[in-house]
This record gives sequence, structure tokens and C-alpha cells, in this order.
Amino acid sequence: MSQLPWTNKHRPKNSSEVVGNMEAIESLKNWVLSWKRDGTNKKAALLHGPPGIGKTVLVETLAKELNFDLIEMNASDLRSGKIIDNVIGSAVEQQDLFQRKKIILIDEVDSISPKKDRGAVQSILKIIESTNYPIVMTANDIWDPKVRGLREKSLLIQFKRISSREALPFLKKLLDEESVEVDYDTLKSIIQRNEGDIRSMINDLQMIATGKNRITEDDITWLAWRDRKEPIFDALKLVFTSKDCFTARRALDISEVDYEMLFEWIYENVPRQLSDSSDMVKAMKALSKADLFIARTKKHQAWSLLSYVIDLMTAGVAMARERTKPAWIPMKFPQRISLMSRTMRERALMRGVGSKIGSKCHLSSKSSVRDFVPYLRTIMKNNAKSASLEKWLELDEEMIDYLKS
Amino acid sequence: MEAALWAEKYRPKTLDEMRNQVEIVNRLKKFVETKTMPHCFFAGPPGTGKTTGALCLAHDLFGERYMDLFLELNASDTRGIDVIRTTVKDFARISTISDAPFKILVLDEADNMTGDAQQALRRTMEKYTNTCRFILCCNYSGKIIEPIQSRCAIFRFTPLKHEDVLDYLRFIANNEKIEVTDDGSNALIDVAEGDMRKGINIMQSAAALSGKIDEDSVYQVVGMAKPEDVKNMLNLTVKGDFIKARESLRNMLLRSGLSGTDILKQIHSEIFKLDIDEQKKVELADAAGEVDFRLVQGADEEVQLGALLAKISLYTK
Repeated sequence: MSQLPWTNKHRPKNSSEVVGNMEAIESLKNWVLSWKRDGTNKKAALLHGPPGIGKTVLVETLAKELNFDLIEMNASDLRSGKIIDNVIGSAVEQQDLFQRKKIILIDEVDSISPKKDRGAVQSILKIIESTNYPIVMTANDIWDPKVRGLREKSLLIQFKRISSREALPFLKKLLDEESVEVDYDTLKSIIQRNEGDIRSMINDLQMIATGKNRITEDDITWLAWRDRKEPIFDALKLVFTSKDCFTARRALDISEVDYEMLFEWIYENVPRQLSDSSDMVKAMKALSKADLFIARTKKHQAWSLLSYVIDLMTAGVAMARERTKPAWIPMKFPQRISLMSRTMRERALMRGVGSKIGSKCHLSSKSSVRDFVPYLRTIMKNNAKSASLEKWLELDEEMIDYLKS
Repeated sequence: MEAALWAEKYRPKTLDEMRNQVEIVNRLKKFVETKTMPHCFFAGPPGTGKTTGALCLAHDLFGERYMDLFLELNASDTRGIDVIRTTVKDFARISTISDAPFKILVLDEADNMTGDAQQALRRTMEKYTNTCRFILCCNYSGKIIEPIQSRCAIFRFTPLKHEDVLDYLRFIANNEKIEVTDDGSNALIDVAEGDMRKGINIMQSAAALSGKIDEDSVYQVVGMAKPEDVKNMLNLTVKGDFIKARESLRNMLLRSGLSGTDILKQIHSEIFKLDIDEQKKVELADAAGEVDFRLVQGADEEVQLGALLAKISLYTK
């Protein structure tokens, strides 16, 4: 197997191979083809959307396909105003000797640092004014105040996360080409855990498939969720730093996750963020109340109660902060969810063992796990003659291995 | 095939073999003599003979082939209304073809039945009394609705006395040719806490571990069986390491099969041993009661217990 990163090896060769975002691709293509120097259709385009969904790739393939030269600059280049003028400024003003057309790509404009890249935005704006060629920029977050000027001057083209319906055939084909077998459920959960980021799906696949010709659900249990810069972090920031209820409550709107997932994030981070213990206790109290309302909402199908749930988990936690001093502490992914997915197989095995014991010993499977399993382990690990026990309980190989481990 | 777990192997088969709960057993024997019985409700802590009592009663009433006339359902595994409407009803309404006067249906761990299921059961019990008698077993009678309790003869199983537990454990050890030292006996009594099943399980583990039952082997088994326990979690809480305490809580809930209510009961009993103001103990008891109620309402076990731990950590600071 080639050691080339799959994201390079399987990079689309032309725009029709780019996965998803059909509309965005179409509008970028039309815009490039109808681009005029007088700026009737805006002189720059700003492609925006989360990472790993094909923004840069699209520009690259499009340039090749339409036979344009691509002049590219991205976040890894230093981008002070002066450097931009030198690299791009000269390119946009010169008419090419052979009349070759060009596309100028400025990648990741939202990561321009106000300090290090001083004057960069002004330079780009100046270039947009005077350019002879279409300028395409990409950004994850176009609502960043830094890029406001660019936003106003550009045609905005939104890229969406890749749906699993779109990703599935693409990844299946990629794995076929790499001669790796995979079952539907495994592939599906890799897609889901990457939340529409096709680049990280491919990276995950390569990581777990290296040296194998078959991947299964077991291979992915240890894959970590990516700690991505997501709207959820902005939402959490509102919950943990807002001084008023109204702002804190907005967290749900901007989080892009459902209320239960937001709850998990807040619940995980309360004791980490609120270092003062009386603040922490107050916040936990608000959360436990919110949780009670969730239970009532579900039990009585009274969805109007959800509004109070949101109040308590956002504003309730925000108002709990009275004595905790400001400090930057990274947000942590809900550990409860990680533990659940890590122990999925273990818990299924436990339930299996529990019901085996239960049917012999007149107990529920849950009580069997609680009352028998701890002792059963000790007996099985220390008694060479435990075979008769295993036989009597009708335990299978997997259960036996698990109990003895 | 002979049972390999001692708790099952040495489960009494007949009422005569039952050595404890003497008064209850005597009344059950009366049912056998008269070949009649009411619906029964067996309440009491784990490992005190509720299920055994039901099994022995059925055996003595119906003889060796009692399994044909006897259905045992575990309400924790099948707790919904559907089971009551289908399985239970189907069993209850069909009368026996043998000469037995009725059938017996045992609902084990009945306190885990949903409210709806209990309501459905109440009607079924009444309607099919002629063909079927019910025995409901549970730990906490409070979780069973009044109308059901009022239809039953209630038997309260008490925790076994230390000497009774020890007598039976000695009998098993003799049979299995295992030596039990004096300090081993004391240790067994101490950890069994009146729960026969627990005592037997610990003894069998200790026997597997070291071949003889002494103080060391007993406590070693208990230590291995419960690496995460409530006391340990409370220690972390008191030390102010809430995040670690919450992790320990999470592990107990997800991996050891303990329910939120099990853990809450233990926290509750530890509250009064904490080194804090007496006033605050009352407040914590109040908070624990609130958590208990919320769990019944279906709230999340970890979140509710977590909030309680947070409160404890503040008070013990």
C-alpha cells in the first residue's frame, strides 16, 4: 500500500469529482466564467463553510479544468500587506504575455492575524479594486469581524457539510481502490463521527486501514473525536462568560447541536470552568433541575417545557458564575459520551452474561451483573476448574475471555 | 447438570429445607396443606429468601413437575405493560389440565414495573384469580401501588441474623470440604450484611482464590469485586476532587451494574457519618430525598447524583 496520504492520492482531478455542494460548485463556475473587469458580478468570491468539505480542492480543479493559471496563497504564508502586494499585487495587474487567464486563490482569510499580518485585509481590498483576474477567498467563519470588509466586497458562496448519502459512495469507491473491505455500519459510523468533514473521514480511514485489508466496528472504537473549532465552542463561551440571561440563552441557537448534546457539553465542563466550588455547586444545581425538566418533558410529551430546560442549562449556569476568576481553560468533549462508546461492546457483553446468569439463578440480568459478576470474575480467574461453571452458565468464548481479562 | 454456582446449588428445594424466615415458611406450609393460597406479596432486602420461598412453595404444592404450572417473570427485564397484557394474561387465563387447583405466576423484582404495567396487572389479578395466583417479590414495597398491595397477603422478609447466615455457610463449606477459620467466619458475617446470596458468592470466590476461607481471602475478594465503590467516591468528593469523584460515579453506573438508586442508598447512609455540622446533615438528607424522587421521575442518574456530590463537596470543605 502506498504511504502517500489518501487525501492527496484520491484528490479530485476535476470539479465533477468533488463530493457534494453541487450548487456551490455551479455558482462558482458560472461566476468565474462570467467574470468581468468592471465588477458587475463582484470581483471576488468568498467560499465559506466548515473545514474539510472541498473549498480549496474545488478552486484547484476548476482552474485546471478551465485552463486557468492558479496563483495561490494560504494561511501558512506570511501575509503582511507588503508581501501580499508583492506576490499577488503584481500578478493581478500584469496582463499575461500569452493571454493566459488566472485565478487568484487566497486561502483561509479568516485566519489572518491582526498583528502579524498587519495591513493584510487592506491590501486584499485594494487588490480586489484593481484586479484583472477573479479572486477567490476561502474562510471557515465569515462572521469574524476581521473579514467584514472582504465579506462586503465578495460574492458569498456557502459550502455545506457533506451528507452521509454523498460521502458513502465516494468513500466506498476509495476503499475499493485501496482493496480494503468494510461493512456498511462501520463506514457509516466513521462518516457520522466526522460530522460532514470529508477530509477527516479519509484521514480516519487511512489511519485505521493501514496494514489491513478489512476494517470493522472494533477498529473505530478507539478513534478520538476531533476537537474541532466548532460553533459549539462559541456557544459554551456564552454559557460560561455571559453576564446576562438573554445572551447566555442564545447559546442553543448558535451551537448547531441539539439541546441534549449542548447539555452534555455544559455538564462536562461545569466543574472544569467554574473553579470556585460554590459557583460550581450552583451550576450543577441548575443543570440537575434542567435534567429534571427534560425527564418531565419526555415523560409527558410536554415539549413546551423544553423552554425552561434551555433557561436553566444556559442562563442558570451563566448566573452561577459569581466568584470564579476569568481564566482560559480548554473545553473538553463530553467524556460520558466517549466512555459510552468505548464501553459499548463491554456493556453488551455484560448484559449477555447477566441474562445467562439470570436465567439460571432467578434474577434479572441487571441484578445478576451487580450481584454475581464481580465474584464470578474472581472465581473464573483463580480456579483452573472453572470450565464446569462456564458450561453450566452456557457462556460463550467471548464472554469467558471478557470475564477472565 | 448440577449447578456450579453455590448460590444456586444450595438454594433450598422444599419448604422443609428452608431454615430461616421460620414464621413465613410455616404459613406457606399451611397453604400447601390446604392446597389453597391467596395472591402473595413478598417484600424484603436482597438475599433473604423471597424467590426461594416462591420456588419452594410451588414445588411443594405441585411436586417435581411444578415448572409446568409455574411461570417466573422478572420485572426488571420485562417491565412494560405489553408483557402484562400478553405473556402474563395468556398464562393466567388458561386453566390447568392437571389436578392442580391453580397455577402460580411469580413476578420477581416487581418494584421495577412501570406504573402502567401495575395498573394493567391489577385487573388481571382480579379477573383470573380462579386459575392463577400471583406472587410479587420486591425490595421496596412502597413502589407497588396500593390497589395491588391490598389484593395480596403481605409477607415481610427480614434480614437474616448473623448466626443464621453463618450456619448455612458452614453447612455449605462442610459439603464442599472447605476450611473456614474463625476470623474467616467473622469476616464473612461482616461483609454479607444479612444477605445470604452475597455471603455465598463471597465464600465461593474466596475458596477459588486461596482454597480456604480466612479473613485475608474474604477481604481480598471484596476488594477485587469492588474497585470502585461508594466510599471511595465520597472520599474523593470530600477531598474536593469533584471531577475524579464524578468519573468514579460514571464508572459505577456504566460498568458495575449498580443503579442510581443503589448508589444513592449508600450515599444516604454515609451522610450521617460525615464530619460536618449536624444542621448540614439534615440538608444533605433533604437533598438526597429530592434526588431519589427525581430518579423515580426518570431524571438522569449521573447528573442528579453528580449535583448531590457537588453539594457534599461544598459542605465538607
